[in-house]
Amino acid sequence: MQTFSLRGKTILVTGGSSGIGRQTAATLANLGGRLAVNGRNEVRLAETMAVLTGAEHYAVSFDLNNTQQLPAFVESLPELNGVAHCAGIWKPCPVKFMKEQQLQALLQTNFIAPALLTAELLRQKKLMSGSSVVFVSSVAAQHPYKGGGAYAASKAALEAFSKTLALEYAHKKIRSNCVAPAMVKTPIFDDTQNTVSEQYMQAHEAAYPLRVGQPEDVAYAIAYLLSDASGWITGSVMRLDGGLTVGS
Amino acid sequence: MDKDLFLQHIRDQFEETDPALITFDTIFKQLEEWSSMHALLLIALIDAEYNVPFTGEDLQKCLTVEDLYNTIKSRVG
Repeated sequence: MQTFSLRGKTILVTGGSSGIGRQTAATLANLGGRLAVNGRNEVRLAETMAVLTGAEHYAVSFDLNNTQQLPAFVESLPELNGVAHCAGIWKPCPVKFMKEQQLQALLQTNFIAPALLTAELLRQKKLMSGSSVVFVSSVAAQHPYKGGGAYAASKAALEAFSKTLALEYAHKKIRSNCVAPAMVKTPIFDDTQNTVSEQYMQAHEAAYPLRVGQPEDVAYAIAYLLSDASGWITGSVMRLDGGLTVGS
Repeated sequence: MDKDLFLQHIRDQFEETDPALITFDTIFKQLEEWSSMHALLLIALIDAEYNVPFTGEDLQKCLTVEDLYNTIKSRVG
């Protein structure tokens, strides 16, 4: 079962201060990975570091939207065998109320920042041969919902970007894949519930043949895609939705 | 906070409804046109025009247009 292990791999996890990113860091550490965990909030990042098993990890606090300082940030990183792009934001807005600033902000965090980080990692040759890059997309990229125009568009862009990366770097044995989760119980779930009401969320939860997701469900899929066990998989999008979209 | 302008904003979100049918006493969720999309539209409207926190739970507590106005007014300060 050695191929499922992350022992000997150094992996960058973004969005590590909460939600899917925090759980991904914890799961990857359990599987033997050595982690560089990135987040904007130093206090919450420290909370993540405190729950990681193993001692060789380090916190790399940085705002990935700070594109000017991005080269210096990447320079400070060790050579990597994997990246889990987990940083993301969510804000619903019907098309009619979209404004440039909000649209830019959402695209910046969810698409432009991970795209530019990947580009800079490649320019500085930080991704070793055999590396695996995983982006956290969303089931919304293929199955949008009302009010999700900006969010779904940002995730669809991420999926297309990941597939392009897969094509451009296959010769270096660098793989790129997405996971596309449906609703997961993270702080974003609470935000959504506050926005659309508890009643609506209960109805939404009832639509899942299995159940809504937990951060661990996403973290295990990311771990698999980062491991050598998924060595033949690149340019794919793994849907994680408890059966939500099976019949649609 | 301009009360007439507020009413105008609310009326603008119901494109299929005669504006005269929407007053401060209107129970907006009973309008024939009401849908989950209107919940999103009202929340986005309040964010865009008044820049105050207003959630789905808040919306559930409001029955009439007047309730909406009073909730937002109390937050605009």
